[in-house]
Amino acid sequence: MDQPETRHSLIVRLKGDDYERAWFDFVAVYEPFLRHLVTRLGVPERHAADVVQQVLVAIAKSVDGWSDDGKAASFRRWMATVARNIVIKFMNRERRQPGAHGGTDLITLLEQVPAAPDRAAVERYEHELIIWAAEQIRAEFVDTSWAAFWLTVIEGKSVKSVAAELDISCGSIYMSRSRIMARIRKKVDEVLDQPLATEGDG
Amino acid sequence: MKSSPAKCDQQLLRDSLDDVLSEQQEDWLEEHLEACTACQEVLAELASDAEGWSRVESALVSEVSGTTPLGRGMISTLVPGNQRGLPGESRIIGRDVLPADFAVDFLEPAQEPDSIGRLNDIEIRSVIGHGGNGIVLKGFQKELNRLVAVKVMAPQLAASAEARKRFAREAQATAAIVHPNVMPVLTVHSQSQLPYLVMPYVDCESLQQRLDREGSLPILDVLRIGHQVARGLAAAHAQGLVHRDVKPANILLERNVDRVMLTDFGLARAMDDATLTGTGLIAGTPQYMSPEQARGDSVCLRSDLFSLGSVMYAMCTGRPPFRAQTSYGILRRVIDDPQRPIGDLNADVPDWLEGFIDRLLAKESASRFGCADDVASMLQRCIAHVQQPSNNRLPEAVQALAGRRSVSRPPSVLVNLRGYVLPLIGVLAVVVLGAIGASGVLEPAVDPAGGVPGGDAPRKTVEPSAAVPLEMPSQRNEVWHDGVSEELSSLAAELDALLDALETNVDMDHQTRN
Repeated sequence: MDQPETRHSLIVRLKGDDYERAWFDFVAVYEPFLRHLVTRLGVPERHAADVVQQVLVAIAKSVDGWSDDGKAASFRRWMATVARNIVIKFMNRERRQPGAHGGTDLITLLEQVPAAPDRAAVERYEHELIIWAAEQIRAEFVDTSWAAFWLTVIEGKSVKSVAAELDISCGSIYMSRSRIMARIRKKVDEVLDQPLATEGDG
Repeated sequence: MKSSPAKCDQQLLRDSLDDVLSEQQEDWLEEHLEACTACQEVLAELASDAEGWSRVESALVSEVSGTTPLGRGMISTLVPGNQRGLPGESRIIGRDVLPADFAVDFLEPAQEPDSIGRLNDIEIRSVIGHGGNGIVLKGFQKELNRLVAVKVMAPQLAASAEARKRFAREAQATAAIVHPNVMPVLTVHSQSQLPYLVMPYVDCESLQQRLDREGSLPILDVLRIGHQVARGLAAAHAQGLVHRDVKPANILLERNVDRVMLTDFGLARAMDDATLTGTGLIAGTPQYMSPEQARGDSVCLRSDLFSLGSVMYAMCTGRPPFRAQTSYGILRRVIDDPQRPIGDLNADVPDWLEGFIDRLLAKESASRFGCADDVASMLQRCIAHVQQPSNNRLPEAVQALAGRRSVSRPPSVLVNLRGYVLPLIGVLAVVVLGAIGASGVLEPAVDPAGGVPGGDAPRKTVEPSAAVPLEMPSQRNEVWHDGVSEELSSLAAELDALLDALETNVDMDHQTRN
């Protein structure tokens, strides 16, 4: 189920000959998540699409300059930093000039990405990825299953008490919560360049 | 009911995560898990390793505890609010809901009195135009205080997954082109039910509209517009993007400003694929298409140069270079026939410009100019030359193209003599028609069996127009010759139309072969 190479090769392909197709695949995978990310970082809903565009443009413009430094999650660090910087730039401009935002001159922004990635930005990126993945798959499950997962895993209640509370069997709780977990993991891995558990950059 | 399968089955656990169990298996597993702690653990491990569990858990815990600063106005939809009221309560995430259908359904109710509806953050005010590939709406973004043009993909195209993919991809690529002669794309919504893109609203008319109104344009305008289109193309080509649909309708002339913008990159590509290569049918007019596109071969950057040549031809003459009654008739001309010399239609066009456009219209892409950038530079110098001939020489490459026109012809002097010459035309028409009849062109169409004897052979027997006057024996009077030439041109145009009407059957038969 987990295919870390897939995401990774997608990024490598962005620099290759079949750029157009790779770019489409890339956008298809990342755009929905980037939308989530930038709105959660504080970009108002109505500007989210514009800001996501700017992030994508910045990535398109600079993917040639990105190189895998061999450490795990280097692409994730880069994405996180690009997105964060563009959101910050957006906010600054909004503050200075409320209502006057527009245009595409954020392309050069990437050059301002600091060499050392901001750890907080990466953590936030990963956090948002999990939240986004959970929201994405939430609708796939009936409410009882979701509640079984939430109450036992997140709220730490015992399986027995939740079974009684929801009037379902313990067996169905085990099944539901593992299913939900597997789906979240899969969703995350679709976007993440490396699986969560192999996080290696300390 | 109680089958008593005490055995643990890992495959069953895996299938359970993939949600492929039968109802019976599901019941059984549920019961088994009730008591089998080993299977409970294995199932959890199969779902994710321990670190994955703990990371998802801590992310969600910090989410509900509020330790993560949320964006303005965001509320997580994940927390089960009221466990008792769960069934039937919808918790579908609102944020990613697709915009509703377009045309009518697509728009949400208006919030402003002067708006006809709303599309996300855009108040739609009017419909600017519509065509085969979509509609264009005029809208206003209140928060940004700006007018925008919203281009919405036509439903029939949106139904094609491939068209949508290409739309997204091309639109993203277009968004990366930043150039004064390319209409910028502000936003792309490729995930919505009908994909749309948002562009700045510019007070402009299309070159098509201007041609419809004015016919041919002054030479300086031809060069000026051609130059700016070439600049825009060069910017696109630098991104590896072939426009593939350069035509007057896609060239916008800003009002009161000397600025020309090329538009419609993404939709053009999408449309092309859904219609031409997808189903074998051609939507719209292929009049500006390059021969390689018309043949369905792969296009290259120079395909756009051919189309630019067609556009410049149309600006010089008021009509596209290749015309016929049917799309297939046009395509055939684009592929096989030379265009009529520009000079036949507008004698004010200088030789060198005609030669320049002929070069762009070369059937073989390799025979055209090298790149859009070169074309733009040459046109720039041509503009300087036309404005101040004494100070600015024509580029040598352009100078060399002068005098290559197939028919040399004095300036159009004697339009007034038409009446004098007309009686002769009837005679000539008989001659020409006789020649056509003898060549067998008309025969396939009148063949009662509807067959096409001789396959391709009869199709190109008549070269339209210009060749005929040259063969006129009497050139004792130049005035005369000129008048005849002109009349023959229009006669030939009528014959073109006639032949196309007659050839419709032939074309249909040829489709399968082409």
